Amino acid sequence: MEKLAKIQLTVLASYSMPFVLLSALLINTLLVNNHVTGGSLKILLLGGAFPLGFLAGRLIYVKRSHVEILFDDISFSVIKGSKETETGSWRSFRLVSLVLDQFGKPNLRLYRAVEGEYVDLPISKTNADPQRFRDHVQSLISGVRIRKTTPQVVEAA
Amino acid sequence: MRLVRGLCPPDPRISNLLTRYVLELASVDKAIVLILSRAFEMQSRSLSEQISPVDAFELNLLRGGSRLIADLTEFFRDYKVDDTTFAIYAKGNTRNKGLFLSRFFAWTVLPNYPVSLFCINEGKTLLSTESLRKRIETVTRVTDADELQWAWLVVLSDRALSPQIVSLVSRYDRKELGLAAASTSSKQIVLSNNQVGRSIGKQLKLRKALEPNKHWRN
Repeated sequence: MEKLAKIQLTVLASYSMPFVLLSALLINTLLVNNHVTGGSLKILLLGGAFPLGFLAGRLIYVKRSHVEILFDDISFSVIKGSKETETGSWRSFRLVSLVLDQFGKPNLRLYRAVEGEYVDLPISKTNADPQRFRDHVQSLISGVRIRKTTPQVVEAA
Repeated sequence: MRLVRGLCPPDPRISNLLTRYVLELASVDKAIVLILSRAFEMQSRSLSEQISPVDAFELNLLRGGSRLIADLTEFFRDYKVDDTTFAIYAKGNTRNKGLFLSRFFAWTVLPNYPVSLFCINEGKTLLSTESLRKRIETVTRVTDADELQWAWLVVLSDRALSPQIVSLVSRYDRKELGLAAASTSSKQIVLSNNQVGRSIGKQLKLRKALEPNKHWRN
């Protein structure tokens, strides 16, 4: 199975920053208690707040928000954090489209029937090229994508 | 005296150190050259990959190219309606999304009409007035069925546009359908004589899509 994933840096940073701040406060308290009040040693030790904070942030990010899409020529599954949120077979879908979300990022929409029930794959949260991935999925899904329109009634003169 | 001292053979330990230093520098240099050549290779590969005019046009729309007129939010490829296959079929509405002020402005001022964009790639086949009229009819049927306020129809052809097509498109003035015909070989673009049609050139930047490798990088 192929895997699509990407570390979402903005989400990771938003999880990590409170921990960076918290660990900096803790380190500072320890330094004050040990009478380290100035100099380059204090800056160096306070700098340790970043790896500590990002480590804690990354743990939460991986547990909650990291998105992975696993797929092969038959099926796919979407894993968000530690949960499998979506799974399915390509052949159960008829139509595929790219949908822009509220931030203008493209995600993949798979329709079970034309203008019917659909499933969204969050490809903007992975390293997939939206157009190429859509083309690949379009080649995998089975589908009669023909839409019929009713001919217009023309009045006789 | 100084010159003579300078020419004296150096200490063997220092010369050994210098030799090692130069060798290490050379290996680092080699690594940098390797990395740069790989990067250059990758860049040249990505540049050599041809992006088709349809892909380039869609990419522009995906990046919000139509934002000033319509907010196209859903894009289909090779969408079949009756016996016509649209290379791109995009759906959206006229009310833009935004952050705070633009969203408030759109919500209070702009009407929320459903609109669509249709793009047909004729390829090497000759674009005749008859086939174009047929395409227009199909789009009009979809427009009526979906109760769209207006729609864009862009027809791309690999061949030069015939004078009949130029005449038909430039004289087309039905306000619900903006029409454009473009030749990917001669880069000629003809727009219909209505507001929606003129916006294809101004807002959708069709000309840029016809010169893909110049402006659009994947």
